[in-house]
Amino acid sequence: MPKFLCLQRSLPSTATSGGDKPSPAQMQEMYAKFGAWQEKFKDRMVDMGGKLGGGQLVTVPGADGPFTEVKELCGGYMIVEADSIEGAIEVAQECPGLIRPGSGCEVIEIETP
Amino acid sequence: MSTAARVEHFFRHEYGRMVSTLARRFGLAPLELIEDAAQAALMAALTHWPRTGEPDNPAAWLYRVAHNRVLDQLRQQAGHHRLHGAHAPELRPARQDPTDPALAGDVADDLLRMLFVCCDPVVPPASQLALALKILCGFSVPEIAHRLFVSEANVYKRLQRAKSALRERATLDGGLDLPALAARRPAVEGVLYQLFTEGYLSSHPGLAIRAELCDEALRLGHLLAAHPVGQGPSTYALLALMWLHRARLSARVNDAGELLLLEEQDRSAWSADAIAEGLAWLARSAAGDSFSRFHAEAAIAAEHCLAPSLAATRWDKIAELYALWDAVEPSPLHQLGRAVAVAEAEGPEAGLAALDGVGPPTWLEGSYLWQAVLADLHRRAGQLETARRHRAAAERAAPSDAVRALLARRFSAAG
Repeated sequence: MPKFLCLQRSLPSTATSGGDKPSPAQMQEMYAKFGAWQEKFKDRMVDMGGKLGGGQLVTVPGADGPFTEVKELCGGYMIVEADSIEGAIEVAQECPGLIRPGSGCEVIEIETP
Repeated sequence: MSTAARVEHFFRHEYGRMVSTLARRFGLAPLELIEDAAQAALMAALTHWPRTGEPDNPAAWLYRVAHNRVLDQLRQQAGHHRLHGAHAPELRPARQDPTDPALAGDVADDLLRMLFVCCDPVVPPASQLALALKILCGFSVPEIAHRLFVSEANVYKRLQRAKSALRERATLDGGLDLPALAARRPAVEGVLYQLFTEGYLSSHPGLAIRAELCDEALRLGHLLAAHPVGQGPSTYALLALMWLHRARLSARVNDAGELLLLEEQDRSAWSADAIAEGLAWLARSAAGDSFSRFHAEAAIAAEHCLAPSLAATRWDKIAELYALWDAVEPSPLHQLGRAVAVAEAEGPEAGLAALDGVGPPTWLEGSYLWQAVLADLHRRAGQLETARRHRAAAERAAPSDAVRALLARRFSAAG
Protein backbone atom coordinates (compact mmCIF):
# COMPACT_ATOMS: atom_id res chain seq x y z
CA MET A 1 0.00 0.00 0.00
CA PRO A 2 1.31 3.48 -0.81
CA LYS A 3 2.86 5.43 2.00
CA PHE A 4 2.55 9.14 2.49
CA LEU A 5 4.76 11.62 4.27
CA CYS A 6 2.71 14.22 6.12
CA LEU A 7 4.62 17.40 6.91
CA GLN A 8 3.25 19.93 9.31
CA ARG A 9 3.74 23.33 7.72
CA SER A 10 3.78 26.63 9.54
CA LEU A 11 1.72 29.06 7.54
CA PRO A 12 1.48 32.81 7.73
CA SER A 13 -1.63 33.68 9.67
CA THR A 14 -3.50 36.83 10.48
CA ALA A 15 -5.47 35.16 13.25
CA THR A 16 -4.53 36.64 16.57
CA SER A 17 -6.27 33.99 18.61
CA GLY A 18 -4.51 30.81 19.63
CA GLY A 19 -1.77 32.78 21.32
CA ASP A 20 -3.25 31.81 24.68
CA LYS A 21 -1.89 28.69 26.25
CA PRO A 22 -4.48 25.97 26.57
CA SER A 23 -5.78 25.39 30.08
CA PRO A 24 -5.29 22.01 31.79
CA ALA A 25 -8.94 21.17 31.13
CA GLN A 26 -8.54 22.02 27.46
CA MET A 27 -5.37 19.94 27.32
CA GLN A 28 -7.24 17.00 28.74
CA GLU A 29 -9.85 17.44 26.04
CA MET A 30 -7.16 17.59 23.36
CA TYR A 31 -5.55 14.49 24.77
CA ALA A 32 -8.83 12.59 24.61
CA LYS A 33 -9.46 13.78 21.05
CA PHE A 34 -5.97 12.80 20.04
CA GLY A 35 -6.45 9.36 21.58
CA ALA A 36 -9.70 8.89 19.67
CA TRP A 37 -8.05 9.99 16.43
CA GLN A 38 -5.17 7.60 16.98
CA GLU A 39 -7.54 4.77 17.65
CA LYS A 40 -9.60 5.54 14.55
CA PHE A 41 -6.63 5.55 12.19
CA LYS A 42 -4.31 3.08 13.90
CA ASP A 43 -4.37 0.80 10.85
CA ARG A 44 -3.12 3.57 8.58
CA MET A 45 -0.38 4.85 10.88
CA VAL A 46 3.11 3.74 9.91
CA ASP A 47 5.12 6.20 11.97
CA MET A 48 3.64 8.68 14.42
CA GLY A 49 6.70 10.79 13.77
CA GLY A 50 7.10 13.86 15.93
CA LYS A 51 8.27 17.43 16.16
CA LEU A 52 11.47 18.32 14.37
CA GLY A 53 14.33 19.60 16.48
CA GLY A 54 17.53 21.40 15.51
CA GLY A 55 19.54 19.91 12.64
CA GLN A 56 22.55 20.41 10.48
CA LEU A 57 22.87 20.43 6.75
CA VAL A 58 25.74 18.26 5.59
CA THR A 59 27.24 19.24 2.24
CA VAL A 60 30.41 18.86 0.30
CA PRO A 61 32.94 21.49 1.35
CA GLY A 62 32.45 24.80 -0.36
CA ALA A 63 28.80 24.40 -1.25
CA ASP A 64 27.36 27.76 -2.06
CA GLY A 65 25.19 28.43 0.97
CA PRO A 66 23.42 29.54 3.03
CA PHE A 67 20.48 27.22 2.40
CA THR A 68 16.96 27.34 3.78
CA GLU A 69 16.60 25.09 6.79
CA VAL A 70 13.80 22.57 6.52
CA LYS A 71 12.78 23.39 10.08
CA GLU A 72 11.78 26.86 8.98
CA LEU A 73 9.17 25.35 6.71
CA CYS A 74 8.21 22.22 8.53
CA GLY A 75 7.46 21.62 12.21
CA GLY A 76 6.92 17.89 12.30
CA TYR A 77 6.11 14.80 10.34
CA MET A 78 4.27 11.50 10.33
CA ILE A 79 4.00 8.66 7.85
CA VAL A 80 0.67 7.09 6.99
CA GLU A 81 -0.38 4.30 4.73
CA ALA A 82 -3.45 4.55 2.50
CA ASP A 83 -4.92 3.35 -0.78
CA SER A 84 -4.81 6.84 -2.18
CA ILE A 85 -3.76 10.33 -1.29
CA GLU A 86 -7.35 11.03 -0.26
CA GLY A 87 -7.05 8.34 2.43
CA ALA A 88 -3.90 9.99 3.74
CA ILE A 89 -5.46 13.45 3.62
CA GLU A 90 -8.34 12.17 5.71
CA VAL A 91 -5.92 11.14 8.47
CA ALA A 92 -4.24 14.55 8.42
CA GLN A 93 -7.52 16.42 8.15
CA GLU A 94 -8.92 14.80 11.27
CA CYS A 95 -5.74 15.06 13.34
CA PRO A 96 -6.66 17.37 16.25
CA GLY A 97 -4.86 20.68 16.10
CA LEU A 98 -2.96 20.00 12.89
CA ILE A 99 -5.05 22.00 10.42
CA ARG A 100 -5.77 25.43 11.90
CA PRO A 101 -4.88 29.06 11.26
CA GLY A 102 -1.12 29.19 11.08
CA SER A 103 -0.65 25.48 10.52
CA GLY A 104 -1.31 23.20 7.60
CA CYS A 105 -0.18 19.82 6.41
CA GLU A 106 1.50 18.84 3.20
CA VAL A 107 0.71 15.27 2.20
CA ILE A 108 3.34 13.78 -0.12
CA GLU A 109 3.38 10.31 -1.62
CA ILE A 110 6.54 8.36 -1.00
CA GLU A 111 7.18 6.75 -4.34
CA THR A 112 8.33 3.17 -4.37
CA PRO A 113 9.51 1.46 -7.48
CA MET B 1 -2.42 3.21 25.37
CA SER B 2 -2.93 3.21 29.10
CA THR B 3 -5.59 5.48 30.45
CA ALA B 4 -4.45 7.17 33.65
CA ALA B 5 -4.72 10.53 31.96
CA ARG B 6 -8.29 9.78 30.95
CA VAL B 7 -9.31 9.97 34.57
CA GLU B 8 -11.69 12.86 34.94
CA HIS B 9 -9.93 16.16 35.63
CA PHE B 10 -6.51 14.44 35.56
CA PHE B 11 -4.76 17.38 33.91
CA ARG B 12 -6.34 19.99 36.17
CA HIS B 13 -5.62 18.07 39.33
CA GLU B 14 -2.08 17.21 38.32
CA TYR B 15 -1.53 20.90 37.71
CA GLY B 16 -2.57 21.60 41.30
CA ARG B 17 -0.35 18.84 42.65
CA MET B 18 2.68 19.99 40.71
CA VAL B 19 2.33 23.63 41.70
CA SER B 20 1.76 22.74 45.35
CA THR B 21 4.70 20.38 45.60
CA LEU B 22 7.07 22.62 43.68
CA ALA B 23 6.06 25.61 45.80
CA ARG B 24 7.01 23.61 48.88
CA ARG B 25 10.32 22.70 47.28
CA PHE B 26 11.25 26.11 45.89
CA GLY B 27 9.20 28.49 48.01
CA LEU B 28 6.61 31.01 46.89
CA ALA B 29 8.93 33.59 45.37
CA PRO B 30 9.11 31.87 41.98
CA LEU B 31 5.38 31.01 41.93
CA GLU B 32 4.77 32.23 38.40
CA LEU B 33 7.76 30.33 37.13
CA ILE B 34 6.42 27.23 38.88
CA GLU B 35 3.02 27.66 37.29
CA ASP B 36 4.61 28.00 33.86
CA ALA B 37 6.64 24.87 34.47
CA ALA B 38 3.55 22.88 35.46
CA GLN B 39 1.80 24.12 32.34
CA ALA B 40 4.81 23.16 30.20
CA ALA B 41 4.95 19.68 31.76
CA LEU B 42 1.32 19.04 30.82
CA MET B 43 2.04 20.32 27.34
CA ALA B 44 4.99 17.94 27.08
CA ALA B 45 2.75 15.07 28.17
CA LEU B 46 0.26 16.06 25.51
CA THR B 47 2.86 15.84 22.77
CA HIS B 48 4.82 12.83 24.06
CA TRP B 49 2.33 10.42 25.53
CA PRO B 50 0.33 9.78 22.39
CA ARG B 51 3.55 8.67 20.72
CA THR B 52 5.32 6.85 23.51
CA GLY B 53 2.34 5.67 25.52
CA GLU B 54 1.67 6.86 29.03
CA PRO B 55 4.51 6.29 31.48
CA ASP B 56 3.94 3.83 34.33
CA ASN B 57 3.64 6.67 36.78
CA PRO B 58 2.23 9.69 34.91
CA ALA B 59 2.21 11.92 38.00
CA ALA B 60 5.89 11.24 38.70
CA TRP B 61 6.76 11.84 35.04
CA LEU B 62 4.99 15.20 35.06
CA TYR B 63 6.59 16.24 38.31
CA ARG B 64 10.06 15.38 37.03
CA VAL B 65 9.58 17.41 33.86
CA ALA B 66 8.21 20.41 35.76
CA HIS B 67 10.86 20.17 38.46
CA ASN B 68 13.71 20.10 35.95
CA ARG B 69 12.23 23.03 34.14
CA VAL B 70 12.04 25.12 37.31
CA LEU B 71 15.64 24.23 38.11
CA ASP B 72 16.79 25.20 34.62
CA GLN B 73 14.99 28.51 34.78
CA LEU B 74 16.35 29.29 38.22
CA ARG B 75 19.87 28.47 37.07
CA GLN B 76 19.46 30.78 34.12
CA GLN B 77 18.23 33.54 36.40
CA ALA B 78 21.11 32.87 38.76
CA GLY B 79 23.57 33.16 35.88
CA HIS B 80 21.92 36.39 34.92
CA HIS B 81 22.20 37.67 38.48
CA ARG B 82 25.89 36.74 38.61
CA LEU B 83 26.54 38.66 35.42
CA HIS B 84 25.08 41.69 37.08
CA GLY B 85 26.98 41.14 40.27
CA ALA B 86 23.86 40.52 42.29
CA HIS B 87 23.42 37.42 44.37
CA ALA B 88 20.76 34.94 43.46
CA PRO B 89 18.32 34.55 46.28
CA GLU B 90 16.27 31.92 44.44
CA LEU B 91 19.05 29.39 44.63
CA ARG B 92 19.39 29.34 48.34
CA PRO B 93 18.78 25.77 49.40
CA ALA B 94 15.02 25.46 49.41
CA ARG B 95 13.23 24.58 52.59
CA GLN B 96 13.85 20.91 52.32
CA ASP B 97 13.09 20.05 55.89
CA PRO B 98 10.05 22.12 56.58
CA THR B 99 9.40 23.44 60.02
CA ASP B 100 5.98 21.86 60.00
CA PRO B 101 6.64 18.14 60.30
CA ALA B 102 2.94 17.49 60.60
CA LEU B 103 2.65 18.63 57.02
CA ALA B 104 5.81 17.05 55.64
CA GLY B 105 6.03 14.75 52.73
CA ASP B 106 2.86 13.61 51.14
CA VAL B 107 1.26 15.11 48.07
CA ALA B 108 -2.10 15.50 49.77
CA ASP B 109 -0.31 17.52 52.42
CA ASP B 110 1.32 19.69 49.78
CA LEU B 111 -2.09 20.49 48.36
CA LEU B 112 -3.49 21.22 51.78
CA ARG B 113 -0.54 23.40 52.63
CA MET B 114 -1.08 25.32 49.41
CA LEU B 115 -4.74 25.79 50.32
CA PHE B 116 -3.64 27.38 53.58
CA VAL B 117 -1.15 29.53 51.69
CA CYS B 118 -3.95 30.75 49.39
CA CYS B 119 -5.90 31.75 52.50
CA ASP B 120 -3.11 33.88 53.90
CA PRO B 121 -4.67 36.85 55.68
CA VAL B 122 -2.50 39.21 53.61
CA VAL B 123 -4.49 38.07 50.56
CA PRO B 124 -7.93 39.73 50.15
CA PRO B 125 -10.79 37.17 50.31
CA ALA B 126 -11.88 37.64 46.69
CA SER B 127 -8.31 36.97 45.66
CA GLN B 128 -8.07 33.91 47.90
CA LEU B 129 -10.87 32.27 45.98
CA ALA B 130 -9.42 33.14 42.59
CA LEU B 131 -6.01 31.90 43.64
CA ALA B 132 -7.39 28.59 44.92
CA LEU B 133 -9.27 28.09 41.66
CA LYS B 134 -6.16 28.83 39.67
CA ILE B 135 -3.54 26.97 41.66
CA LEU B 136 -5.38 24.10 43.32
CA CYS B 137 -8.13 23.43 40.81
CA GLY B 138 -6.09 24.18 37.69
CA PHE B 139 -8.57 26.55 36.07
CA SER B 140 -7.32 29.17 33.61
CA VAL B 141 -8.16 32.86 33.91
CA PRO B 142 -10.95 32.69 31.29
CA GLU B 143 -12.36 29.58 32.98
CA ILE B 144 -12.39 31.29 36.37
CA ALA B 145 -14.04 34.38 34.90
CA HIS B 146 -16.67 32.16 33.29
CA ARG B 147 -17.38 30.42 36.58
CA LEU B 148 -17.46 33.49 38.81
CA PHE B 149 -19.39 35.67 36.35
CA VAL B 150 -16.73 38.35 36.34
CA SER B 151 -14.48 39.71 33.64
CA GLU B 152 -11.12 38.18 32.83
CA ALA B 153 -9.51 41.48 33.71
CA ASN B 154 -11.12 41.24 37.14
CA VAL B 155 -9.78 37.71 37.71
CA TYR B 156 -6.38 38.75 36.49
CA LYS B 157 -6.35 41.67 38.89
CA ARG B 158 -7.39 39.45 41.79
CA LEU B 159 -4.63 36.99 41.00
CA GLN B 160 -2.02 39.70 40.68
CA ARG B 161 -3.05 41.11 44.04
CA ALA B 162 -2.78 37.67 45.61
CA LYS B 163 0.58 36.96 44.09
CA SER B 164 2.18 40.22 45.01
CA ALA B 165 0.92 39.84 48.58
CA LEU B 166 2.37 36.33 48.72
CA ARG B 167 5.66 37.42 47.19
CA GLU B 168 6.12 39.97 49.92
CA ARG B 169 5.16 37.36 52.45
CA ALA B 170 7.63 34.84 51.03
CA THR B 171 10.58 36.96 52.02
CA LEU B 172 9.60 37.00 55.67
CA ASP B 173 7.87 33.64 55.78
CA GLY B 174 7.88 32.23 59.25
CA GLY B 175 6.50 28.92 58.03
CA LEU B 176 3.16 27.38 58.71
CA ASP B 177 3.28 25.54 62.00
CA LEU B 178 0.25 23.93 63.52
CA PRO B 179 -0.92 26.95 65.56
CA ALA B 180 -0.61 29.15 62.47
CA LEU B 181 -2.60 26.62 60.48
CA ALA B 182 -5.28 26.42 63.13
CA ALA B 183 -5.60 30.19 63.19
CA ARG B 184 -6.10 30.19 59.44
CA ARG B 185 -8.63 27.36 59.39
CA PRO B 186 -11.74 29.58 59.46
CA ALA B 187 -10.46 31.42 56.38
CA VAL B 188 -9.87 28.11 54.64
CA GLU B 189 -13.38 26.96 55.51
CA GLY B 190 -14.69 30.28 54.23
CA VAL B 191 -13.00 29.84 50.86
CA LEU B 192 -14.27 26.27 50.54
CA TYR B 193 -17.77 27.47 51.38
CA GLN B 194 -17.49 30.26 48.82
CA LEU B 195 -16.23 27.79 46.22
CA PHE B 196 -19.13 25.48 46.93
CA THR B 197 -21.83 28.13 46.83
CA GLU B 198 -20.39 29.54 43.60
CA GLY B 199 -21.33 26.17 42.15
CA TYR B 200 -24.51 25.50 44.08
CA LEU B 201 -26.25 28.85 43.93
CA SER B 202 -24.92 30.01 40.61
CA SER B 203 -27.45 30.70 37.91
CA HIS B 204 -24.93 29.31 35.44
CA PRO B 205 -26.83 27.37 32.81
CA GLY B 206 -24.30 24.56 32.67
CA LEU B 207 -25.08 22.03 35.37
CA ALA B 208 -21.81 20.21 34.74
CA ILE B 209 -19.87 23.37 35.38
CA ARG B 210 -21.70 24.01 38.62
CA ALA B 211 -21.31 20.43 39.82
CA GLU B 212 -17.61 20.71 39.06
CA LEU B 213 -17.17 23.64 41.43
CA CYS B 214 -19.11 21.83 44.17
CA ASP B 215 -16.98 18.75 43.69
CA GLU B 216 -13.78 20.77 43.87
CA ALA B 217 -14.94 22.19 47.21
CA LEU B 218 -15.74 18.70 48.44
CA ARG B 219 -12.38 17.35 47.29
CA LEU B 220 -10.48 20.06 49.16
CA GLY B 221 -12.83 19.79 52.13
CA HIS B 222 -12.03 16.11 52.52
CA LEU B 223 -8.37 16.93 52.33
CA LEU B 224 -8.84 19.38 55.19
CA ALA B 225 -10.86 16.93 57.29
CA ALA B 226 -8.16 14.28 56.86
CA HIS B 227 -5.59 16.51 58.56
CA PRO B 228 -5.38 17.12 62.31
CA VAL B 229 -5.94 20.84 61.79
CA GLY B 230 -9.27 20.16 60.10
CA GLN B 231 -10.49 17.62 62.56
CA GLY B 232 -13.07 19.71 64.32
CA PRO B 233 -16.83 20.26 64.39
CA SER B 234 -16.93 23.22 62.01
CA THR B 235 -15.04 21.45 59.22
CA TYR B 236 -17.23 18.38 59.65
CA ALA B 237 -20.37 20.53 59.56
CA LEU B 238 -19.08 22.22 56.41
CA LEU B 239 -18.65 18.83 54.75
CA ALA B 240 -22.11 17.82 55.94
CA LEU B 241 -23.78 20.85 54.40
CA MET B 242 -21.86 20.46 51.15
CA TRP B 243 -22.88 16.81 50.79
CA LEU B 244 -26.51 17.49 51.72
CA HIS B 245 -26.72 20.24 49.10
CA ARG B 246 -24.73 18.26 46.54
CA ALA B 247 -27.21 15.40 46.92
CA ARG B 248 -29.94 17.62 45.50
CA LEU B 249 -27.97 19.61 42.93
CA SER B 250 -28.99 17.78 39.77
CA ALA B 251 -32.62 17.62 40.87
CA ARG B 252 -32.69 21.41 41.04
CA VAL B 253 -32.81 21.72 37.27
CA ASN B 254 -34.85 19.94 34.62
CA ASP B 255 -33.49 18.43 31.41
CA ALA B 256 -33.61 21.81 29.73
CA GLY B 257 -31.40 23.24 32.46
CA GLU B 258 -34.18 25.32 33.99
CA LEU B 259 -34.21 25.84 37.74
CA LEU B 260 -36.93 23.94 39.57
CA LEU B 261 -38.89 24.94 42.64
CA LEU B 262 -38.57 22.72 45.68
CA GLU B 263 -42.12 21.47 45.16
CA GLU B 264 -41.34 20.60 41.53
CA GLN B 265 -38.25 18.58 42.34
CA ASP B 266 -38.27 14.84 42.01
CA ARG B 267 -37.17 13.74 45.45
CA SER B 268 -36.31 10.29 44.18
CA ALA B 269 -33.60 11.95 42.08
CA TRP B 270 -31.81 13.15 45.18
CA SER B 271 -28.68 11.10 45.75
CA ALA B 272 -29.19 8.73 48.66
CA ASP B 273 -25.44 8.10 48.90
CA ALA B 274 -24.65 11.78 49.15
CA ILE B 275 -27.37 12.26 51.76
CA ALA B 276 -25.97 9.37 53.79
CA GLU B 277 -22.49 10.87 53.53
CA GLY B 278 -23.82 14.25 54.63
CA LEU B 279 -25.67 12.81 57.59
CA ALA B 280 -22.58 10.91 58.70
CA TRP B 281 -20.54 14.13 58.69
CA LEU B 282 -23.36 15.91 60.48
CA ALA B 283 -23.32 13.27 63.22
CA ARG B 284 -19.56 13.66 63.53
CA SER B 285 -19.91 17.45 63.70
CA ALA B 286 -22.19 17.17 66.72
CA ALA B 287 -19.29 16.25 69.02
CA GLY B 288 -18.63 18.97 71.55
CA ASP B 289 -20.84 21.95 72.18
CA SER B 290 -19.81 24.25 69.38
CA PHE B 291 -22.49 25.35 66.95
CA SER B 292 -21.24 27.14 63.83
CA ARG B 293 -23.05 28.70 60.91
CA PHE B 294 -22.18 25.53 59.03
CA HIS B 295 -24.04 23.46 61.61
CA ALA B 296 -27.17 25.56 61.15
CA GLU B 297 -27.10 25.37 57.38
CA ALA B 298 -26.29 21.65 57.39
CA ALA B 299 -29.14 20.93 59.80
CA ILE B 300 -31.61 22.83 57.61
CA ALA B 301 -30.39 20.93 54.54
CA ALA B 302 -30.77 17.68 56.48
CA GLU B 303 -34.37 18.53 57.33
CA HIS B 304 -35.15 18.97 53.64
CA CYS B 305 -33.28 15.81 52.69
CA LEU B 306 -35.10 13.74 55.29
CA ALA B 307 -38.59 15.07 54.62
CA PRO B 308 -40.57 12.50 52.61
CA SER B 309 -42.51 15.27 50.85
CA LEU B 310 -42.83 19.01 50.80
CA ALA B 311 -45.99 18.80 52.91
CA ALA B 312 -44.34 16.52 55.47
CA THR B 313 -41.38 18.88 55.96
CA ARG B 314 -40.78 19.86 59.58
CA TRP B 315 -41.13 23.58 58.96
CA ASP B 316 -41.26 24.44 62.67
CA LYS B 317 -37.86 22.79 63.11
CA ILE B 318 -36.50 24.61 60.07
CA ALA B 319 -37.79 27.94 61.41
CA GLU B 320 -35.98 27.24 64.65
CA LEU B 321 -32.75 26.41 62.83
CA TYR B 322 -32.92 29.64 60.83
CA ALA B 323 -33.27 31.52 64.10
CA LEU B 324 -30.19 29.72 65.45
CA TRP B 325 -28.31 30.50 62.26
CA ASP B 326 -29.28 34.15 62.60
CA ALA B 327 -27.97 34.07 66.16
CA VAL B 328 -24.51 32.74 65.23
CA GLU B 329 -24.33 34.70 61.99
CA PRO B 330 -26.82 37.56 61.91
CA SER B 331 -28.20 38.22 58.46
CA PRO B 332 -31.57 39.42 57.14
CA LEU B 333 -31.32 36.55 54.67
CA HIS B 334 -31.60 34.09 57.53
CA GLN B 335 -34.58 36.01 58.90
CA LEU B 336 -36.13 35.77 55.47
CA GLY B 337 -35.55 32.01 55.48
CA ARG B 338 -37.14 31.80 58.88
CA ALA B 339 -40.18 33.76 57.71
CA VAL B 340 -40.69 31.36 54.81
CA ALA B 341 -40.53 28.39 57.18
CA VAL B 342 -42.86 30.09 59.68
CA ALA B 343 -45.36 30.78 56.90
CA GLU B 344 -45.33 27.11 55.96
CA ALA B 345 -45.76 26.04 59.55
CA GLU B 346 -48.24 28.65 60.81
CA GLY B 347 -49.63 30.44 57.77
CA PRO B 348 -48.73 33.49 55.67
CA GLU B 349 -49.75 36.08 58.29
CA ALA B 350 -47.31 34.55 60.78
CA GLY B 351 -44.66 34.58 58.06
CA LEU B 352 -45.25 38.27 57.36
CA ALA B 353 -45.23 39.00 61.07
CA ALA B 354 -41.81 37.33 61.30
CA LEU B 355 -40.54 39.91 58.83
CA ASP B 356 -41.94 42.83 60.81
CA GLY B 357 -39.09 44.91 62.02
CA VAL B 358 -36.56 43.36 59.65
CA GLY B 359 -35.27 46.43 57.94
CA PRO B 360 -33.75 44.86 54.85
CA PRO B 361 -30.54 46.51 53.65
CA THR B 362 -30.79 48.02 50.19
CA TRP B 363 -29.05 45.11 48.45
CA LEU B 364 -31.60 42.69 49.86
CA GLU B 365 -34.64 44.89 49.40
CA GLY B 366 -33.64 45.29 45.77
CA SER B 367 -33.15 41.56 45.28
CA TYR B 368 -35.61 39.26 43.55
CA LEU B 369 -35.47 36.89 46.51
CA TRP B 370 -36.83 39.37 49.03
CA GLN B 371 -39.46 40.69 46.62
CA ALA B 372 -40.58 37.21 45.56
CA VAL B 373 -41.05 36.02 49.13
CA LEU B 374 -43.08 39.13 49.97
CA ALA B 375 -45.17 38.70 46.81
CA ASP B 376 -45.88 35.11 47.74
CA LEU B 377 -46.74 35.77 51.39
CA HIS B 378 -48.98 38.75 50.60
CA ARG B 379 -50.81 36.82 47.91
CA ARG B 380 -51.44 33.93 50.25
CA ALA B 381 -52.64 36.37 52.90
CA GLY B 382 -55.13 37.78 50.38
CA GLN B 383 -53.38 41.15 49.96
CA LEU B 384 -53.41 41.00 46.19
CA GLU B 385 -52.51 44.60 45.39
CA THR B 386 -49.38 44.54 47.55
CA ALA B 387 -48.56 41.10 46.16
CA ARG B 388 -48.69 42.42 42.59
CA ARG B 389 -46.36 45.27 43.43
CA HIS B 390 -43.74 42.93 44.91
CA ARG B 391 -44.15 40.51 42.07
CA ALA B 392 -43.35 43.19 39.52
CA ALA B 393 -40.32 44.23 41.56
CA ALA B 394 -39.14 40.61 41.75
CA GLU B 395 -39.41 40.16 38.00
CA ARG B 396 -37.49 43.38 37.39
CA ALA B 397 -34.70 42.29 39.73
CA ALA B 398 -34.31 38.72 38.43
CA PRO B 399 -30.60 38.28 37.67
CA SER B 400 -31.02 35.75 34.87
CA ASP B 401 -33.56 34.30 32.48
CA ALA B 402 -33.52 31.07 34.46
CA VAL B 403 -34.60 32.90 37.60
CA ARG B 404 -37.18 34.93 35.67
CA ALA B 405 -38.70 31.72 34.30
CA LEU B 406 -38.74 30.26 37.80
CA LEU B 407 -40.60 33.27 39.16
CA ALA B 408 -43.10 33.18 36.33
CA ARG B 409 -43.88 29.53 37.08
CA ARG B 410 -44.14 30.12 40.78
CA PHE B 411 -46.51 33.05 40.36
CA SER B 412 -48.63 31.46 37.64
CA ALA B 413 -48.95 28.17 39.54
CA ALA B 414 -50.19 30.28 42.42
CA GLY B 415 -52.80 31.82 40.13
